[in-house]
Amino acid sequence: MHIPDGLISPQTYLPALAVAAPLWALAGHRLRSRLGDEVLPRLAVFTALAFLMSTLMLPLPGGTSGHVVGVGLLALVFGPWTAFMAYSLVLLLQAVVVGAGGITSLPVNALAIGFAGAWLAAGLYAVLRRFGETPAVLLAVWLSVMGSALLLALVLGLQPAIAHGPDGTPLFFPFGPAITVPALLLPHALIGAGEAALTLLVFRHARRRRWLVAGG
Amino acid sequence: MSPRAGLFAWLIAVVGATLVHAPAWLAGGALLALAVSGRGRVALLARALRLVLPVLLLISVAYLAAGWLSDSLAWEYLLLLNLRVSLLALLTAWMVRDLDLDRALRGLPRLQRWLSIVRGQIEVFRRLAGDYRAAARSRSTTPPTLGQRYRAGAALGLAALDKAVYNAEALTQGMRSRGALDD
Repeated sequence: MHIPDGLISPQTYLPALAVAAPLWALAGHRLRSRLGDEVLPRLAVFTALAFLMSTLMLPLPGGTSGHVVGVGLLALVFGPWTAFMAYSLVLLLQAVVVGAGGITSLPVNALAIGFAGAWLAAGLYAVLRRFGETPAVLLAVWLSVMGSALLLALVLGLQPAIAHGPDGTPLFFPFGPAITVPALLLPHALIGAGEAALTLLVFRHARRRRWLVAGG
Repeated sequence: MSPRAGLFAWLIAVVGATLVHAPAWLAGGALLALAVSGRGRVALLARALRLVLPVLLLISVAYLAAGWLSDSLAWEYLLLLNLRVSLLALLTAWMVRDLDLDRALRGLPRLQRWLSIVRGQIEVFRRLAGDYRAAARSRSTTPPTLGQRYRAGAALGLAALDKAVYNAEALTQGMRSRGALDD
């Protein structure tokens, strides 16, 4: 889902960095204050799992595939602040170890997927929990994937308006929101459903093992 | 060049490439990067392009189609986009190939430790998944259906998760007892 380097302008990624940096500092501070010997190994494992989930292709009917994100799972197990920090690390690893995604687009991806995605998943789960765990997890994760996809679609779709030459020719991503929003939301409606089912499976397992950490 | 200087040089080059909007300069930057990247240039270029080619093809073909329909095609923009994304991918692939990240992050113990732990866990997961997959394949004589693949994947994933958490707990206790987590 994340945006690679070269498609978004400095006018976008520099302000995003200015927003993300204090949030990383705050999330890091919260994480350090509550990272005990029990949470550390689980968080490392779930961060690694989120990294691998984002490289895992879900086979879909018709022979196509798509990759899941894993931030909803991190948010439901460890809380949104920890999930934001862990997913930022996943994005950093993808950029500097695999060469996927990008370092200039890291703040935008971290805010849209890591921050907004984690808070959407955790917030919606808290609201929907009264209707039962299964629908709450499924809906919260699906809506979180759709919310992150919508944010990224808007960021990409605004590029022709934000960064263009004197004659109006785009300098970065060329298409507006009329194209980017359906192009990202339609496949992610299906990918989000796969991610929701996968998250429910692992979330139930984590609850049975008493791995859930509240208030992160 | 020290690993830390290499990391900063890569960051400056990547940010710089997003500030340049002249295709000739970007093409020159890509040629220069290829020239000084040393042996294995072709493999490096292939690795970089393999990562970005699907995205570039999709955007370029869609842009060509939209431009052809609206009769407003800007070839220079298409060149600019492809050169910039390819140059950035090339610079990153070069960094991934040649930079020792652990040495570059020396002096940042928390980040270094986190990267080491998570990278270790990724390797553990990969190995466990490979072992379980090979074991499942050796037990079946016919290719599994989509439903069987999902069910086997779920069972495999949860078993690997349990084992990975157990390994990570043992690893953390070992690191703690040796003072690696004391700062």
